Amino acid sequence: MMSNSNYKFDWNVIEKYWPEILKGLIITIQISLAGMAFSILLGICLANGKLSNNLLIVRISSSITELFRSIPLFVLLFWIYYGFSLKFNFALTEFEAGVLALGITGGAYMAEVFRAGLLAVPIGQLEAAYAIGLSKMQSSMFIIFPQAIRIIIPPMVNIYIGLLKGATIVSVIGVSDMIYVARYVSLETFAPFELYSLVGIIFISLTLSISGFVYLLERKLGRSKVDG
Amino acid sequence: MGNSKSFFEFEAVVSSWDILLKGFAVAMFAATLATALAIILGLVVALMRLSTVAIYRWIAFAFTQFFRGVPLYVLLVWVYFGLAIAVNINLSAILAGVITLALLNAGYLSETFRSGILAIDSGQIEAGLALGLSKQVVFKEIVLPQAFRIVIPPMGNQYVDAIKDSAILSIIGVPELMRESQQLANLYYQPFEFYTCAGLLYLIAVVLVSRGTNKLEKRFYTHSAQN
Repeated sequence: MMSNSNYKFDWNVIEKYWPEILKGLIITIQISLAGMAFSILLGICLANGKLSNNLLIVRISSSITELFRSIPLFVLLFWIYYGFSLKFNFALTEFEAGVLALGITGGAYMAEVFRAGLLAVPIGQLEAAYAIGLSKMQSSMFIIFPQAIRIIIPPMVNIYIGLLKGATIVSVIGVSDMIYVARYVSLETFAPFELYSLVGIIFISLTLSISGFVYLLERKLGRSKVDG
Repeated sequence: MGNSKSFFEFEAVVSSWDILLKGFAVAMFAATLATALAIILGLVVALMRLSTVAIYRWIAFAFTQFFRGVPLYVLLVWVYFGLAIAVNINLSAILAGVITLALLNAGYLSETFRSGILAIDSGQIEAGLALGLSKQVVFKEIVLPQAFRIVIPPMGNQYVDAIKDSAILSIIGVPELMRESQQLANLYYQPFEFYTCAGLLYLIAVVLVSRGTNKLEKRFYTHSAQN
């Protein structure tokens, strides 16, 4: 099976093409950040819906959350880019479809994180805010939110790591991200091993540094773990 | 839109039902096998992580960090296209897919198992040793059964993730649900219908596994409460 195990790693390919790969990396980061922004918005809406007094709104928000946590990102991406856009004559660019798919999946996870964060603030805080005459809006903005955000940030960054890893699949619909670049360069150079190794190493250093950052953040914020 | 066609055309989906179900079976097979392998490997890595031998701990730590940090898609193309050329191993697509899924899930599960084992009160171990049981017996008969109960929910979640992630195996040509859906969608030019159907099938699988995990967990809790 291993006839040429003394394979020579071709550094020239990496030396020649790393700027292209980095360009792809920037697109990967852009799409994951845009998806993150979308999921924060969606997550806030869904979390508030779940905590609503209206039972119907609670049901709808919970169902949406469950639905999008259960459908694979990959399927959602194809559904949006090929299925939905064709059915409703809704032209989306590859990038937009990627952001939507990442944002919807991330938003469903984010909803749970926001809900848990908001619930973790003791109810006495809200009552005290009302008692000193703050409006509903004011108390959630100035009293609840600043306290909840401490609990929310670490799991939020973990969701971002998930989105960053998830963003690698957008190349299948033609976004020219890091893997897309690695693939077409490897078709030219016949060096997939070198290129995919480079991509892998870049990714691992990225995710590991972000999770290292989360670890420090968790210690600094004084909370070890909040379940999402 | 706007012509005589109905909103959701069932005919093509219904007539390709057997192909879709076969794809679904392949997806479930890959996810289940990968999870089973990941449980075994994850347990080995967790035990290495808790070992008194420093080199084992370091290997286990590196394993966990590596496979938790690398995206499935990147690892998959690296194994299937990269490794194939570098060391001239020709894995079949499904084998490459299952191995990749198993390695990634083992990275996550090893951490789950480690925290599950560490969660067992040290008094339990001391009591076992005080009774004159050997270290191995204490671990096998006292620590593992209790730790198992703790890790049921995260293990179920990992299985769910493996099912969802298995859709990515379509990229290297594994004839699973997503691959078949893509081909049928192109054949009939009905992406909306076929991807909706694929999404529903994944949804059903995920909901069933979550329900099953909850039931299993409850059964273990009542079982332990009775004793």
